[in-house]
Amino acid sequence: MNMTQLPIIKDIYGFLGPDLLVGVVGLLLVLIFVPLNSAFLVWVERKVAGHIQLRPGPMEVGPHGILQSLIDAVKLMCKEMITPDLADKPLFWMAPCIVVIPAIVCFVVIPFSPVMQIRELNVGILLIFAFSSISGLSIMMGGWASNNKYSLIGAVRAVAQSIAYEIPLLLSTMSVIIMSNSFKMSQIVSDQSTVWNFILQPVAAIIFIICSTAETNRAPFDLVEAESELVSGFHTEYTGMRDALFFMAEYTAMFIASSMAVVLFFGGWHGPFFSGIVWFVLKAYFLVFVTVWIRWTFPRLRFDQLMNFAWKVLIPISLLNLLVTAIVIKVL
Amino acid sequence: MLTMKTIDDININERLYQLNLGPQHPSTHGVLHFLLTLDGEVVVKAEMLIGYTHRGHEKMAENRIYEQFYPNSARMDYLSGMIFNTGYCEAVEKLCGIEVPKRARYIRVITSELNRVASHLLGVMDFVMGIGAYTPFLYGWDDREIILDLLETITGSRLTYNYSRFGGVRVDIDQTFCDSARRFIDRMRERFKLYNDLITGNIIFIKRTVGVGVISKDVALDYGVTGPTLRGSGVNYDVRKSEPYSSYEDFNFEIPTKEEGDCMARYLVRLAEIEQSLRIIEQAMNNLPDGPIRADVPCFITPPAGDCYHSFESARGAVGYYIVSDGTRIPYRLKVRAPSFSNLFVMSKIIPGHFVADLVAIFGSIDVTVPEIDR
Amino acid sequence: MLTEGQKKLLEELKNNLAKSVPEAKISQSDYVLTGYHLEFSSSKVGMRRVAKEMRSRRFNLETVTAVDFIDSFEIVYLYFNYNQDNIRVMVRIRVPKDEPPFTVSAVYSEAIWLEREVYDFFGIQFKEHPDLRRILNPDDADYFPLLKNFGKTTITGEIDDMLC
Repeated sequence: MNMTQLPIIKDIYGFLGPDLLVGVVGLLLVLIFVPLNSAFLVWVERKVAGHIQLRPGPMEVGPHGILQSLIDAVKLMCKEMITPDLADKPLFWMAPCIVVIPAIVCFVVIPFSPVMQIRELNVGILLIFAFSSISGLSIMMGGWASNNKYSLIGAVRAVAQSIAYEIPLLLSTMSVIIMSNSFKMSQIVSDQSTVWNFILQPVAAIIFIICSTAETNRAPFDLVEAESELVSGFHTEYTGMRDALFFMAEYTAMFIASSMAVVLFFGGWHGPFFSGIVWFVLKAYFLVFVTVWIRWTFPRLRFDQLMNFAWKVLIPISLLNLLVTAIVIKVL
Repeated sequence: MLTMKTIDDININERLYQLNLGPQHPSTHGVLHFLLTLDGEVVVKAEMLIGYTHRGHEKMAENRIYEQFYPNSARMDYLSGMIFNTGYCEAVEKLCGIEVPKRARYIRVITSELNRVASHLLGVMDFVMGIGAYTPFLYGWDDREIILDLLETITGSRLTYNYSRFGGVRVDIDQTFCDSARRFIDRMRERFKLYNDLITGNIIFIKRTVGVGVISKDVALDYGVTGPTLRGSGVNYDVRKSEPYSSYEDFNFEIPTKEEGDCMARYLVRLAEIEQSLRIIEQAMNNLPDGPIRADVPCFITPPAGDCYHSFESARGAVGYYIVSDGTRIPYRLKVRAPSFSNLFVMSKIIPGHFVADLVAIFGSIDVTVPEIDR
Repeated sequence: MLTEGQKKLLEELKNNLAKSVPEAKISQSDYVLTGYHLEFSSSKVGMRRVAKEMRSRRFNLETVTAVDFIDSFEIVYLYFNYNQDNIRVMVRIRVPKDEPPFTVSAVYSEAIWLEREVYDFFGIQFKEHPDLRRILNPDDADYFPLLKNFGKTTITGEIDDMLC
């Protein structure tokens, strides 16, 4: 039976039109998916960390502790949200709200399968980049408004870091875009039906993964919240659900970064046997697993080393890679 | 009332600002307070404020008889409590001229060295955790746990041991203890490969530690640095060799030294020392003599009037007990030379010019225990 | 037993110290019983001259402490060398309670903290010390804990009676 035949759906459909309906339903799905995904990723993180460190990780709530993050979320919601006396209150309150915006908006353009995409945009990739920069803004807001020196140092680091690492990130993406001749995400994925971009553009792929790790503030580039130096960096003063929102944004950003990598380099929904969505989610979660694995294996870089790595190593290499790509495309 | 400065009050032209690192901070293990003057993230001046865990052990000693001070001794440095405990007993034995049976001295060496391995494992892994690698810390914790369990079987406690007695030790060790210790030694030797793969060869770890926090020989002498920190600066000094106490003169071991004096050198010296300690334990267990474990010492001792200084090597450096006796049951004065006290002070000299992140690394590599500084 | 090198070094030290501080009493002591080889005792003066002599021979200042003998303080400096011929030198300087000693922190930086500690516990105001503040006790404390007239509990006396 066609869903559009139902009277109620028909009414809404008639009222909203096809685009808006997809938008509303998609947004609802995203709003459900984002918290569940971050709860799941927190559990994955703790479980993987546990097994890497020769311990079982959470085991008590549910089979193998799978419900642990949900319980934690309930606990965090019940906690008092403390606002420091000398904090800049409006900014302090706004920062965790703003940090979830990119987490939700970026899902709009991600093509999970040929049909599962909320909105096809001609500039889908640019939209994701534009909105992920907002998280830098909210980190700066939170760090500044806390009126805590650790938070401020963390925020300043965050801004410097995101500026430095966005350049090679965009440059490595450009080399893929030159090949596909399009900013459309579905177009880029369909171009990879035979050969993945990872094989054609290995340098760009590696730079992209390194930079997206840095952009999402994950170890070994987690200087923004470096625990042993800055206590918790920009969210030192946040408690309860506000803190949890920052965490949610971080884990969602991880998933979005992995999805981007899958779209750009790992063939998106392409794969044998299963349907597109299964392949897409599998690939994305595998990349998330790799970031978790890296986090629990490597020590942390120092800030000057981090900046040197971006400006003196990654940017020249990615520029060179872009140049070579352009020349090869032109000549062929 | 305290007037607090908000960010709005700070003059934008003031380049320098102050940061309180501690007393509650994840990487100042214990309650140590750094008052840093920073220029951006570079430390211009570092001042250490200590005394948050001052309990007055030296005053306590003047208020109780010699036997009552046993438990205090291990509570100064809770990470190498066995060594402090043994050292206190040896200082009083020196004062009274008590001859300790050979077997007791060997047991003291075995337990002290096990304690040293445990302490070094924690020190090294804490240092690595300060740099940001969390996993090796728990691997080290895993090894350390075996030692704690092992020592618990003979002493009954896991950290603050009260095991040595004037003239010997409290409980004899048996075959089961030796077997477990041998199993641990075998396990530990295999784990070194893991540590080398996971930490020592890691490019980020090398970048973070080589050339960071260099303590030169002259600075070390000027500031009275001892222990692995001194040996990392290329000075071949270890109390176990220079003034053998217990029965260290019987064993064949080396003093690992490194010339560089940076964080990496101190880390490597500690790892090498673990290996040497394992060698000592093995030799002591192989040649463990029979005989009594405690000399015939009266229940309550009364040392003759006079004074003595006993120096011994804890996991952090040369400790000294200076005891003045006036011929009664109560010490007239008991002074502890705490190695961490001097090792910490050298930080005010070497830190300026380093980043805050380096401060954490240097602090971890010097490996101090705060309760020992504060006493 | 002392080695040849140690004996030679001891003789040299004895002569040099006697030359630089003629008013002091220098004697050799039994290392096995006391833990130090050379004992240097003087009254009021000599700590800086000894420190300079020791520094020139690359001795390490192990500790600085004081003992409260009711009528006077005894400041104790312990020196030890890293080299092969290990010698520990014990320097005792008696100072009256109203006449504080000079600091040695110009010679050994370590002494800055060690003397601060001595000041903190005994109230001895070292002359020319660059930074004489409380170190372990609270900044606003008005007591000096290791003085003999501070905090001697009566319970200890009872314990002592009970045991004897």
